[in-house]
Amino acid sequence: MIFENKKEKYLFTLPAIFMVSITIYLPFLISSYYSLTEWNGIDREAKFIGLENFKTIFFENNQFFDVLIFTGNYTALFMLFSNLFALIIALVLVQKLKTAKLLRGIFFVPYIMSMIIVGFIWKFIFSQGFARLYEITELGLLNLSWLGNSELAFYSVVLVGVWQQLGFYIVLYIAGLQAIPGDLLEAATVDGANIFQKFFKITLPLLGPSITVCMFMSLTRGLKVFDIILALTQGGPGGSTYSATLDIYREAFQYNNYGLGSAKAIIFFIIVLILTQIVLKISRRNEVEL
Amino acid sequence: MKRNSRLKINYFILEVIAIIAAAIFIYPVFLMFINSFKTFREVIIDVIALPQQLNIDNYFYVIDKMNYPRLFVNNILITAVGITGIVAFSSLAAYIIDRSRSRFTSLAFLFIITPMLIPFQTFMITLLKVMNIINLSGSRVGLGIQYWGFGIPMATFIYFNFMKTVPKEIDESAFIDGATTFQTFIYVIFPILKPVTATVIVLDVMWIWNDFLLPLLMVNDSQKTKTLVLAAYNFVGQYNTQWHYAMTAMVLAIVPSLIFFVLLQKYIVKGVVAGSLKG
Repeated sequence: MIFENKKEKYLFTLPAIFMVSITIYLPFLISSYYSLTEWNGIDREAKFIGLENFKTIFFENNQFFDVLIFTGNYTALFMLFSNLFALIIALVLVQKLKTAKLLRGIFFVPYIMSMIIVGFIWKFIFSQGFARLYEITELGLLNLSWLGNSELAFYSVVLVGVWQQLGFYIVLYIAGLQAIPGDLLEAATVDGANIFQKFFKITLPLLGPSITVCMFMSLTRGLKVFDIILALTQGGPGGSTYSATLDIYREAFQYNNYGLGSAKAIIFFIIVLILTQIVLKISRRNEVEL
Repeated sequence: MKRNSRLKINYFILEVIAIIAAAIFIYPVFLMFINSFKTFREVIIDVIALPQQLNIDNYFYVIDKMNYPRLFVNNILITAVGITGIVAFSSLAAYIIDRSRSRFTSLAFLFIITPMLIPFQTFMITLLKVMNIINLSGSRVGLGIQYWGFGIPMATFIYFNFMKTVPKEIDESAFIDGATTFQTFIYVIFPILKPVTATVIVLDVMWIWNDFLLPLLMVNDSQKTKTLVLAAYNFVGQYNTQWHYAMTAMVLAIVPSLIFFVLLQKYIVKGVVAGSLKG
């Protein structure tokens, strides 16, 4: 080909290679090294301590373990609700409704807002809005301490996370649904299939690629949850909504344990890597080709 | 006839339910807007009631206190610098990676796109240190440049997938006319890539404009480089009992994205779908 042995292949890829090297690979490698040290971020030299940090994390207390459990629970519920509600709403919004276009836009609005702001809005709703709505409606549900009780706070964080992201998954499912050939569903109707048979035997299997993408996206975004928690609960009450990323952030930048923070970051990285591979494998296997 | 009218009623009921659901869904945003027009007293008495009059004093106060125009310029500058680099370097890399298939380019491709799998939070601790050393932290342009590295992996991936569909005959005819590889890219290939460029711009504008963690790490408290969202975060933290000001700051922080969305809704939704299904 024309391009063989030309200097362009080095020249044109160089800027991209250079930028990812200094902003991602280099910090990542240094982090891996710091995970083997004790360092407060101020001293000139980090003290090499081998696998001490990992020992601390795994054997000395289960604080990081609790954090991972919260993150896992959050991610599981986040994935379930985002995908379930998004699919239901998408199924409604692909029908011939006069307002379908407007409604799609409305459901997408929270997604274009910064997650920090979304967290603050809901903090206001949970504290001020619910109190007033309770006075009017006397619905007991509104009188609960949604951010003050550790169990409820967990569900509040999930609710806000799903609320912010829902529009994104709706849009992806709508695209998936529109790609399903109409004559396939018509043929099934002619053959006497009812609405549920059509959904479970035709629509759902053919949605495979959309489901894979949505599952993958909701998994990685769920695991990385940070902004919403920082704005909404700051990890409280009593550390019950501490996510892995918030913990890594605090360990390094508030408690100045850069070594320990880096070790947690490496463990988090490995967990994310394994989970994403598993979810990709499972959903790819369930995809159906037309 | 009968079947048709029953179907119509069903659609009508479905539509009513969908509208009610959407109204409840968006109600928190509506509440934020109405409370930004209220006085402190009004918010305390009743957060749900509409404001008695359209009072924009809150806006004057918050715009002045936050130094809003300055933040707005900061955001535009950081986003523009970020987007320019991501688009230029990703499209250039994707072009040569697709056209010159060799061991080097396939390795380069792998090297460039693999970071999509590395969560930002796993290296943010040392990122700050590295950026301090090479002087990219603490300035607006520096912050914009950092986004190049974080945006290039996915953008290159999206560009590459599209490049595969661009016929090679197009560049060959440009070569025959005597164009260099770079000229071919600029004048022939880059214009063809326009739809992908639109996707990349939409995705990255939404991301960089609203990004919180990177500015939080890099900017500290310097007024000069603060972004809109970071300033709103600090402001709300400071005014956490004065909800009328807090709400105003939040509205001000999201209004630019909201306008962006209303004007370009079609492209944004298309870009988000295209970016996710290919990325």
